[in-house]
Amino acid sequence: MNSLVFLLLRSAKNTLLELGRKPAKLLLWVLVIAGIGGIFILSLFTTRQSTEASLDLVWLKGILFLLILIFVVTAIQKGLAKGDVIFDMNDVNLLFVSPVSSRMILMYGIVRMAKMAFLAGFFILFQSNSLSVSFGVGFDGVLLLLLGFMLAVGVLQILSLLIYSLSNGRPRRQMIVRMLAIVAFIPLIAYTGLQLVKTGDLLLALERILESPFTDWTPVAGWASAGVISFISGDLGNGFLFFGMLLLSGILLILYIALSNPDYYEDVLVATESAFEKKRGLSEGQINPEASSTKKIKLAKTGIKGLGPSTIFYKHLRESFRANHLGLWGTWSIIMILGTALFSWFLRGEDGGILVLLQILMWIQIFMIGTGRGLKEIYMHYIYLIPASSFQKIVWSNLEIVFKVLVESVAAFGIAGLIMGESLGLILVAILVYTLFSFLLLGINYLSLRWTGADISAGLLLFIYTIAVMVIMLPGLIAAIVIGSNIEGSGVLIGLGVLALWELVAAIGCFTLSKGILHNADMPVLRTGN
Amino acid sequence: MIDVQNMSKKYGKLVANDNINLSVGRGELAVLLGPNGAGKSTLIKSICGLLRFQGTITINGQENNTVEAKRLLGYVPEFPVLYPMLTVGEHLEFIAKAYRLEDWEERGEALLHRFELDDKKMKLGKELSKGMQQKVSVCCALLPQPKAVIMDEPLVGLDPHGIRELKAIIAQLRDSGCALLVSTHMIESVEEDWDVTYIMVKGRIARVCHRTDLEVGQSLEDVYFNITEGSQEDRP
Repeated sequence: MNSLVFLLLRSAKNTLLELGRKPAKLLLWVLVIAGIGGIFILSLFTTRQSTEASLDLVWLKGILFLLILIFVVTAIQKGLAKGDVIFDMNDVNLLFVSPVSSRMILMYGIVRMAKMAFLAGFFILFQSNSLSVSFGVGFDGVLLLLLGFMLAVGVLQILSLLIYSLSNGRPRRQMIVRMLAIVAFIPLIAYTGLQLVKTGDLLLALERILESPFTDWTPVAGWASAGVISFISGDLGNGFLFFGMLLLSGILLILYIALSNPDYYEDVLVATESAFEKKRGLSEGQINPEASSTKKIKLAKTGIKGLGPSTIFYKHLRESFRANHLGLWGTWSIIMILGTALFSWFLRGEDGGILVLLQILMWIQIFMIGTGRGLKEIYMHYIYLIPASSFQKIVWSNLEIVFKVLVESVAAFGIAGLIMGESLGLILVAILVYTLFSFLLLGINYLSLRWTGADISAGLLLFIYTIAVMVIMLPGLIAAIVIGSNIEGSGVLIGLGVLALWELVAAIGCFTLSKGILHNADMPVLRTGN
Repeated sequence: MIDVQNMSKKYGKLVANDNINLSVGRGELAVLLGPNGAGKSTLIKSICGLLRFQGTITINGQENNTVEAKRLLGYVPEFPVLYPMLTVGEHLEFIAKAYRLEDWEERGEALLHRFELDDKKMKLGKELSKGMQQKVSVCCALLPQPKAVIMDEPLVGLDPHGIRELKAIIAQLRDSGCALLVSTHMIESVEEDWDVTYIMVKGRIARVCHRTDLEVGQSLEDVYFNITEGSQEDRP
């Protein structure tokens, strides 16, 4: 058997055998597969019912276009920096030095890369129900979305590799790549400007832009989104044309790399080594993304204030303000506030608009809370050794994220409330629910760590944490809905107040149950699965 | 000073440490030896209060997870992990303020000088090589003048100057009455100064060897291989 085929098959077999030895991982996969099955069955029932009420497919095209556009920008940036990762360090150490054709090894890398593209698009499957309800897209349409996304991501990974291969260490070529990337979008940008001026209506302009050939023929993002929507709407000719464009460009890129540059090992080495170092750093406790960032840092101010455990908070301030000019409030905060303002503009005049926003932001916050420095601190030994009480250290360590969330929610809900013309009471209670929810999430994070002893994989820990959030929030949500719906007039306000109260009580309960975690728990190690 | 009694640590079904008894007195250098996977790092992390365990671990008679015990303890981890956005100088400042140290600046300068880090004071943690990170890690551990120092493979990654300085520091600390527990694979690096050696095999302490137990012409390396691979006569 070919060595590379053996490697692929044996790796797949060992992954399956590992599931037998790790029941928790097996359970996780069973739940994921059951979830997808459930979504599939649900989508069969919802497709026909929602056809009339669904939104125009052109908006789905826009969402997909924007999503892939993010990957386009990332691929170009990666290509100009160090290329994309299509190999692992073990491939470099064992395969690259073996007497196997470098072209065959490239094909092997691309086959493995398809797995990564599938995993990157995995979340699309979980949108099955909402896609069905909003756009009338059935499960077959969801699979087409996944296929189009996978194709686009795959092509972009190869493009990134090619850009690196052609422009590495050549500033002039890097400049040409940047200019070509801008030129590719000029027709669309020009058409967008024209439509905005012509119609004077943002929504109408957007609709016309998305329906225009300028969007469809924008490389990769346009081809993928136009192909998917053409297939879903039954336009097979255009579907095959745009998917064909994607496939053809992928094949041509691979052929170019394989035929012109059989000695591509050096080109992929930097990205592979960087990725390996990052993974090793994670398992050794270095989970700060700034550690692997190549961004130049200016040392304007130095020094750390505080005394005892409060030093942890001042250290976080110093780190945050050094990492970015806005300090605690990074790019995400700006995206969140601007996104909320934009969304509230569309929701003007609709009942319960602020509740929709609150719901969306709370969902996002479940996964964003982990980006705070307080939770990262527990992966390093310093906080455990500082001679102070565990409680004091936890409080000072998380003060930064609480402060950050409070300011973000005041800005986001304040602006949204003004745009939507909501009452001051509703705005204040939304701020309260969102901030206390973040407080509760911190508590649940510590409780999850305490309960599991942190002796499980990061993926499983995230899964347990998500389930815990849902279970703990459920009584509060039920009480809020029941009480709120039974009161005339200010039902929403009182319902949200009940929810905020529940969040506070539950958060205090979580922190109490996880008391002493720093002095009576295993220091967690982020398991990357490698 | 460091006292471990009937200590066990399990990861699921795996017994990493099995009924460990160990003690390191004031002015004593205890060496922890053992093959890979013997449970040395687990034991060290447990002593430092980074892992839960069964049994008793005390530092100067205080439970290892108390504030009093933490004040006496210095720890150099196996993998140096620094804060990427703090400078070398700020790492020392952070430790000094968090531990409420007084008049620490001169001591900090002296430590940085010994490890040739004077000119790296304004370098960020992420800009340092692995070896330099290890040096900063040692400085952070020693700045509070701990009475019990625990080092996990402290010489790995250090340059020859760093190794010489750290060996000298270890000897000075011992002479000043500090209790030291050092885990290492480089047996020859501790050959001169060790007082007691604990050899771990498969999560247990297989042999406790005091310097006075050595026979004439016998080295620590001989003792180690006798325990881990059998005596020379037994070997094929």
